Amino acid sequence: MSTTKAKLKKPTLKVTPSSRVMNVSTSGVLRVNHSSTYARSINASVSRKSFSLAADSKILDKSSVQTPKHTVQVFDENGKDVTPQPLYQPDPAAVMSKHSKIFASDTSGGTMSDFYSTAYQTTTNASFAGPFTRSVFGSSTVSRGSQSTMESMNEEIEDPSSKRDVSISLSDVQVRREEVKELIKEEMLDEVVDRYLIESETLWLLHMPAVSVSVDSEEAESVKERNNLYMELCKNRMGNDKYVERSMQTFNGAPKTKEVQCEAITMVDAATTATTWDMYDSFRSAGLGEAALSPDTDKASGPEIVSNHRLDPTRAPERTMSVISTTSIASASSSRIEMEPFVVPSEDEPDPELIMQSEKFQQDLFVMERVILENIYQPKLAAYRQLPTLEDPDIVPKVVPTVVSRREESSLDEESTLTPALERLWSFSCELTSGHNVSSMAWNKRNPDLLAVGYGQFDFKDQKSGLICCWSLKNPTWPERVFTCESGVTTLDFSASNASQLAVGMHDGSIATYNVESREKTPVIDSSDCAHKHTSPVWQVRWIDHERGASGEDKGETLISVSADGRISKWFLRKGLDCIGPVLPQSLKVVGNLSITLTSPCSQGPLYRITWSPFCSDVFLSCSSDWTIQLWRQDLFTPVLGFTSTQSAVYDVMWSPKWATVFGAVNEGRVEIWDLGASILDPTIVSLASPGVKLTSLLFATETDCILVGDSDGQVSVYQLKNLTVGEGTQVDALDDIIGSTLASQL
Amino acid sequence: MSAEVEETLKRIQTHKGVIGTIVVNAEGIPIRTTLDNSTTVQYAGLLHQLTMKARSTVRDLDPQNDLTFLRIRSKKHEIMVAPDKEYLLIVIQNPSE
Repeated sequence: MSTTKAKLKKPTLKVTPSSRVMNVSTSGVLRVNHSSTYARSINASVSRKSFSLAADSKILDKSSVQTPKHTVQVFDENGKDVTPQPLYQPDPAAVMSKHSKIFASDTSGGTMSDFYSTAYQTTTNASFAGPFTRSVFGSSTVSRGSQSTMESMNEEIEDPSSKRDVSISLSDVQVRREEVKELIKEEMLDEVVDRYLIESETLWLLHMPAVSVSVDSEEAESVKERNNLYMELCKNRMGNDKYVERSMQTFNGAPKTKEVQCEAITMVDAATTATTWDMYDSFRSAGLGEAALSPDTDKASGPEIVSNHRLDPTRAPERTMSVISTTSIASASSSRIEMEPFVVPSEDEPDPELIMQSEKFQQDLFVMERVILENIYQPKLAAYRQLPTLEDPDIVPKVVPTVVSRREESSLDEESTLTPALERLWSFSCELTSGHNVSSMAWNKRNPDLLAVGYGQFDFKDQKSGLICCWSLKNPTWPERVFTCESGVTTLDFSASNASQLAVGMHDGSIATYNVESREKTPVIDSSDCAHKHTSPVWQVRWIDHERGASGEDKGETLISVSADGRISKWFLRKGLDCIGPVLPQSLKVVGNLSITLTSPCSQGPLYRITWSPFCSDVFLSCSSDWTIQLWRQDLFTPVLGFTSTQSAVYDVMWSPKWATVFGAVNEGRVEIWDLGASILDPTIVSLASPGVKLTSLLFATETDCILVGDSDGQVSVYQLKNLTVGEGTQVDALDDIIGSTLASQL
Repeated sequence: MSAEVEETLKRIQTHKGVIGTIVVNAEGIPIRTTLDNSTTVQYAGLLHQLTMKARSTVRDLDPQNDLTFLRIRSKKHEIMVAPDKEYLLIVIQNPSE
């Protein structure tokens, strides 16, 4: 500790390094001064033992306790010992307990000599501060501890020691007093403690003794005398031999010039645009970052935060931008987020694969396909939805034909605008379905754009595996879902309560339900395990809504199926489908081919379809392979009306959901739309099928004037009913009228 | 899963009027393209900048919003861009064909 020596300009005085030790005034600010020797001694007085003490100061603290008092001695010209006493001598016992604040400035007061002179003066007036005082210091301030040392710099050397002893003893006493106090506290915490407020001694913070003295004071005489003496001295000085003027020359050190050159300071211009979203992202990630950020995740968070730029920060053109944004983040959120702006992704090679397999990419592809198709099919879809079609202004119009033909065309146009017709919009087909026979179609109850189509052969020979496709109107080129079944599908129905549940009846008598929401290819439930399953083709499945809970059943839907083996079964969805044996249909809305064939001797062939009128609840239509369509009323055993148009089996018939007097029928070669209000003998609209293709099923669209026709080639074509004007009057009345009049005419 | 992706991509390409399909990653390197390289690079670079600008606009108006799809209709055809932070899916279609 005392190995180093301080160097001074005044060669006569040497500063003891021990004094340096004492300068543990050490707040962070004063750390700088430890290097300068003057400042050390100046800042000697002590120490606030703050907890932010730097390590070296702490070391100094400890060592300060151990150092010897004077290792170097200073003597002036006369050989007097003017060794400056250390300004502070920490009492070992009281080292930790006292809080005296020192607040010395860095270069407090010029040279050491100046300081000594001021200290000299102040020590004479040093007052004894109480044990727990705190003093704020300027350059000439005194601390409690230092007053003992300050006084040591007095000419009266013996005083400091005594005073030091006093202070030491005092501090000892104080320590003891503190210990005693503690004991008391522990024992009797609840005791009423008396506090006495006393006036403390006067604290001298600054005392500048006056240079002049009042004439009236006691010292006046002595001062005057001294002044006179001094004046005499000055006068005598002129020619006196005692005083000799001599000039001195000090050595000037040889100046030396030294050039220093530093590296050029490179200036970089940085600019950034603080966009709203940039600030929002930084703020959000800063908030998240402090909560969850660890050095490990720094890397991950880096690219996240610059994700707005959609790039890796290593990319050249946007590098500056990303760096700037990261630095702005760093500056904004100060401490914790240590960004590494140049994070090199380690997975460079499989990157394309990752992209291709990511969910987001699939989703984007899906959307993109729909967008493309929308571009293509927009006019058709608009017609379907009965929206006005917009003409693309960029499409070059076709070449205008010659005048003659235009007239013909216009006349034809006029005609065609008047007659009701079917206009073909588009067709649902893809290579998966080609060759399959469309057997049934059903709309989804919740999403009217979703269509389920079942493919399966009607007759026994030529059985292929069945297929179910769920088509969306928005994509007529590829089904949304494809399910393959073992045997041909004969019937489909969507559940109303659980809109994604699709019940399927098959040619081999089994029934299955599918969940169309999931991407699973397998049915949710199958009836293959059921003992009572049907043994012959299921002609119809339907979800029936129970309005009243019969025999303790909950409200809900049950599945009812009708099959060619003569049974109507109600199915329960347990682990597998299970059924209750023959069930009498509680409401005849369940289409039971069989129940009707039992009662109607008039139709000669197998009935393919029975459909109730959605408007008149007791009227229904049937179609069969005996080329006829028949209109029945519930209470009559003979059909009210029969319709025959061609000599081919009618595969499907359906009432229009919009007009009570309109229904559609499909036979092998054509689609017919009958309007009973217009004519009961001929269909209003007839549309021929393409050659070689048999039309097999029909479905009306619920909200628009369109029909869907399925054929044996796997295509489901969408036609729009144009110009079909149905007669006035309420629909139901019209139908009733027709029936009534027919019955009347029959009588 | 990736087979489905490939299938969809192929199907998109075969739709009526589709001129080209490009998938570029975030660095501008084409992963899949049906056009020649120079055209692809040109499309990728230009659309990248445009997408960034569009996204910046959308988010400036409302920082909680984000760009999901971008369509540019021109006289001759329509460019559709599905942007993501890792890739760009670009399809050029001429719907009037």
